Amino acid sequence: MPAPAHPFVSRSGGARRLEPVVFGISRAAAYLILVCGAAVFLDIVVKGGATVFQTRAPFVNVAFLSEAPESLYVFEWEGRQMRLGDREYRAFKQAHPAAAAVPAESYVYSSGGIFPCIVGTLLLVVGSMSIALFLGVCAAIYLNEYARDGRFIRCVRLAIINLAGVPSIVFGLFGFGMFVIFFGWNVSLLAGWFTLAFMVLPVVITASEEALKAVPIGFRVGSLALGATKWQTIWRNVLPYALPGILTSSILGIARVAGETAPIMFTAAYVVRDQLPWQVERAMDGLFEGVMALPYHIYVVSSKIPQNEFTERVQYGTAFVFLALVALIATTSIVLRNRLRARYKW
Amino acid sequence: MTEPSPTSQPPDPAVFPVHKRRLRLLGLTVEDCIQAFFGGNAVISVVVLGLITFFLVREGAGFLGQNRGNLSIYRLAGLEYVDHLRRQAEDHTALTRYLSDLRLRSLNALTGPGGMELEAANARLAAFDAFASGFEDAADPLRGLVSELSEVAAAIKTRHLVIEDKKEERRQLLAERKLEEAAAVVIPEIDFAAELRPIRDSLPAYRVVNRDLAARLGTLLAALPRLAAPEFQPRVDRFIALARDFLAGFPAIERDLEAWDHTRPVSAGEAFPAFVFGRDWLTASFWQDWYGIVPLLTGSFLVALVALCLAVPLGVGAAVYVNQVASAREQRLIKPGIEFISAFPSVVLGFFGIAVLGQALRALSQQPWLAWMPGFPYSERLNILTAGCLLALIAVPTIFTLAEDALNNVPRALKEASLALGASRLQTTVRIVLPASLSGIISAVLLGLGRVIGETMVVLLCAGNRIAIPDFSQGLGFIVEPVHTMTGIIAQEMGEVVRGSIHYRALFMVGLVLFVLSLSINYSAQHIVRRYRLPSS
Repeated sequence: MPAPAHPFVSRSGGARRLEPVVFGISRAAAYLILVCGAAVFLDIVVKGGATVFQTRAPFVNVAFLSEAPESLYVFEWEGRQMRLGDREYRAFKQAHPAAAAVPAESYVYSSGGIFPCIVGTLLLVVGSMSIALFLGVCAAIYLNEYARDGRFIRCVRLAIINLAGVPSIVFGLFGFGMFVIFFGWNVSLLAGWFTLAFMVLPVVITASEEALKAVPIGFRVGSLALGATKWQTIWRNVLPYALPGILTSSILGIARVAGETAPIMFTAAYVVRDQLPWQVERAMDGLFEGVMALPYHIYVVSSKIPQNEFTERVQYGTAFVFLALVALIATTSIVLRNRLRARYKW
Repeated sequence: MTEPSPTSQPPDPAVFPVHKRRLRLLGLTVEDCIQAFFGGNAVISVVVLGLITFFLVREGAGFLGQNRGNLSIYRLAGLEYVDHLRRQAEDHTALTRYLSDLRLRSLNALTGPGGMELEAANARLAAFDAFASGFEDAADPLRGLVSELSEVAAAIKTRHLVIEDKKEERRQLLAERKLEEAAAVVIPEIDFAAELRPIRDSLPAYRVVNRDLAARLGTLLAALPRLAAPEFQPRVDRFIALARDFLAGFPAIERDLEAWDHTRPVSAGEAFPAFVFGRDWLTASFWQDWYGIVPLLTGSFLVALVALCLAVPLGVGAAVYVNQVASAREQRLIKPGIEFISAFPSVVLGFFGIAVLGQALRALSQQPWLAWMPGFPYSERLNILTAGCLLALIAVPTIFTLAEDALNNVPRALKEASLALGASRLQTTVRIVLPASLSGIISAVLLGLGRVIGETMVVLLCAGNRIAIPDFSQGLGFIVEPVHTMTGIIAQEMGEVVRGSIHYRALFMVGLVLFVLSLSINYSAQHIVRRYRLPSS
């Protein structure tokens, strides 16, 4: 193509030749990040999927999802390698008394399933998110609907921003010092709820405020002009429309609550507990007992037991279920948001 | 649109017929109560921040007093005195290690390709070996003295601790109002001056040992056999210099020992610097526990440094690409993709590091074509590099999202003006858009740093958990050494310590340092954004 002969033609210079190189590098950076993320994700999904799914009906490894963790015993029996869980191993030894003499290697937590951990994580998420949403939405209502700019409000906002930057392990120490020791709740579900709730509070407040800001001012003005009180306005004309946004915001919070290990390490998580949280004598006792939780279980099985073919099953399986659970909770609140949003349009 | 305020001006019914009786509680209307309720919720974040500070200080503050006690008994029981000698013996051991390293190198050089047989080489080094063993044996009397005095000092310390336990027992009995039992607890006093006499009286013996050692080493050094290979001469010279320094330090040690006084009190001001500048974190040791945060702090910062070195170019580069170059379709792919990474739980990343990345990086480091990299090849699977790579993945979404926001906030007019003046896209990006958004990008990097410093599970699982300050003498090679971090040590040791013990309080102090550090990082990030905000945005 012949170059046009006008004076503004772009000259080819060093800068021009450099441009595709520099932008190419930045593009490579963007895709490298995605590739790294995908590599981690696929590794967990592929190897964990092998534990959780199976080729025969019902295609899902029900035992893994519905049983408690057990020790795994590996031994040679009549020329075959046997891998039995704790209960099976004991039954086997009763059936074949000679098996007791065969040396068996044991791996803790490597057999059975992770049902108590799933239950524990769900309880932690539901409880702490309820607390955090209640406190967070109320705080956001005050900040957006009532407060006038002033020294006090600036102070509150500064506290919110700074609270968001506090490391999760510091929240763990705080929860340990306050709830576990000072209030005497010991390592319990309740202590975990409050520790996690305070940790996600800034996320919930910031996001709820955004959602409240998105409600048009006319809704408030119109309602007040018709004689409604401030509270009636907020309750009837602001909150319902802000709810979808608030729920979306809580997705971020849920991912954080479910994913953090450090805050629950000394406040709510047990390494192992035989009873499920509701198997207690009185209903209130359930609140003052710790639970097993998926993230803590992953920490335990990846640091306290060796890495080999026998333990890999439970390690990857737990990680996969954990990722899937976080994704599931997030999807639920996205669906919920879309339903609510379809109802209100402005 | 605002309702009439009932407190300031009661509406006159004649003028304003719409009137409603308001229910009042303690002089407040229902509306006021509701507002106060919401206001109370808003205060919670301030309260939580205050409570965090309060409880960290409440549990951690006792550390200073306890550490002072810990340091005083170190002095009172003579452990400090013995440690002077022990350090001398350790310096000597370091010199012998230098010698054996030198021997290994010369042996390798001699038996290397085209070299001689092993026996011949050993024979060649016989003179050197005689020197080395003579050098090593010279310190035997010193080592004997150290172990002898160690036992004395440790015995004094044990007795002191037993007495402390008894005092504690009596205090508890008194608290329970069991006065007779409390009176029955016999608490013997230790006469430290008398107890320390064997240690103090060893000074003349030590002088003799020292003089002998100096004389023997002096003669040995004067007759240092020459190594065959001339390329080792600089190392030999270095050894001689080190050994002379070692000898020159003897009089200072003797002076220290003479001036040493077990009654010199440990001032309250010493306990805090011992924590902040202490180079050892040693717990549950039979000799002396040290609580110094420096190794943990260096560990945290080195891991964060490696993570940021990877994450900043990637995150900022991706942000520039997405914001300035990418088409709308690519943006829709990349932005949610990177935000998805931020939802990865950190413990899953830590597990990935243990299960996959550790081995993969080690295998990579053993490739011959990567031997130029500092520290490669290495054998420790879990180290700064492994943890840093994973932390980079955690920091990237934070840095990317915030940097992209900052780029987005640059006024369109700036970019358009630059393009209209004939600048190319690259020139506009590098000279106009990036400088204009620099404050935002720096604050994004700072917040990424805060995220990385505070991250627990990845470093706990992947950083190797060795409490030591890495060896910086090999240049960049430190990145493949295992370290321990502030977050990691809290998570690892908190579950095992006795409540109220000095170790427990020391962990809360580490938590307090972490808290203050993250607050200041966060604050400076906000400050930078506010200070350098563009006038139009």
